[in-house]
Amino acid sequence: MKILVADDSRVMRQIVIRTLRQAGYAGHDIVEAENGRDALEKVRSEAPDLVLSDWNMPEMNGIDLLAALRAAGSAVPFGFVTSEGSPDMRARAEAGGALFLIAKPFTPEAFDEALAPVLR
Amino acid sequence: MTVLSAPSLTDVQMVVDEVWGTFLGTEEPLVPGPAGDLEVGWSAAVSITGEWRGLVSVELPGPMAAEVTRRMLGLVDGLDPTSDEDVADAVGELVNMIGGNVKSLMPGPSTLSLPVVAAGRVARPSDVVEACRLDAGWGGAPLVVSVHVHA
Repeated sequence: MKILVADDSRVMRQIVIRTLRQAGYAGHDIVEAENGRDALEKVRSEAPDLVLSDWNMPEMNGIDLLAALRAAGSAVPFGFVTSEGSPDMRARAEAGGALFLIAKPFTPEAFDEALAPVLR
Repeated sequence: MTVLSAPSLTDVQMVVDEVWGTFLGTEEPLVPGPAGDLEVGWSAAVSITGEWRGLVSVELPGPMAAEVTRRMLGLVDGLDPTSDEDVADAVGELVNMIGGNVKSLMPGPSTLSLPVVAAGRVARPSDVVEACRLDAGWGGAPLVVSVHVHA
């Protein structure tokens, strides 16, 4: 399986990748994107099986990325990893077609709970 | 309706403890209270605009910012050098997480900005006043997390 990790912070992308490993998802191919626009292009070129995206990013934010993907006919499974976990943000994520929202800071257990239905 | 003007110190402490404990290790917890004079090496801020408006900032000494970066990147203690770019990224992500969680505690809807990071003290708008200030120590050095609101 291939997982696309979109976050404008390289440090946070490293933490997400490390947490994937700690949660038991070590064997997957990882593709990194540094904003929503980069992620949109990489979904087209890399055809990932799952997108894990930050919400707040320059160029194109995560919710606009999700809308652009769905408008383009992509049904790639999509989850947010964001510092904003309020009920309002969760409702917006779900309405946009996201499968889950993992709030930062997160644990490997939170990753496993969200990812198991998609990747196992 | 009660409109909260600022998060409580207890709330901010809880948010900062959670971020610190999750990504920087629990073996060396934050110690509440002033831990000496803070010589700001790096700082970062995010603003929240909408139903509630505020500015969340983090200020920490240079060596602590480097250690935060090493730990967030999962590098070996004290051995791997960190670039200024990595430190700015890590300190920005730190305030993004703290600010995002503070935003969730306050009345919405509102929008969280991208972080602004500075080597030294980040400049704040002149029309804001400090509403909450968390002094803490980590590894024997001081850091400050503060929330400013528009006067």
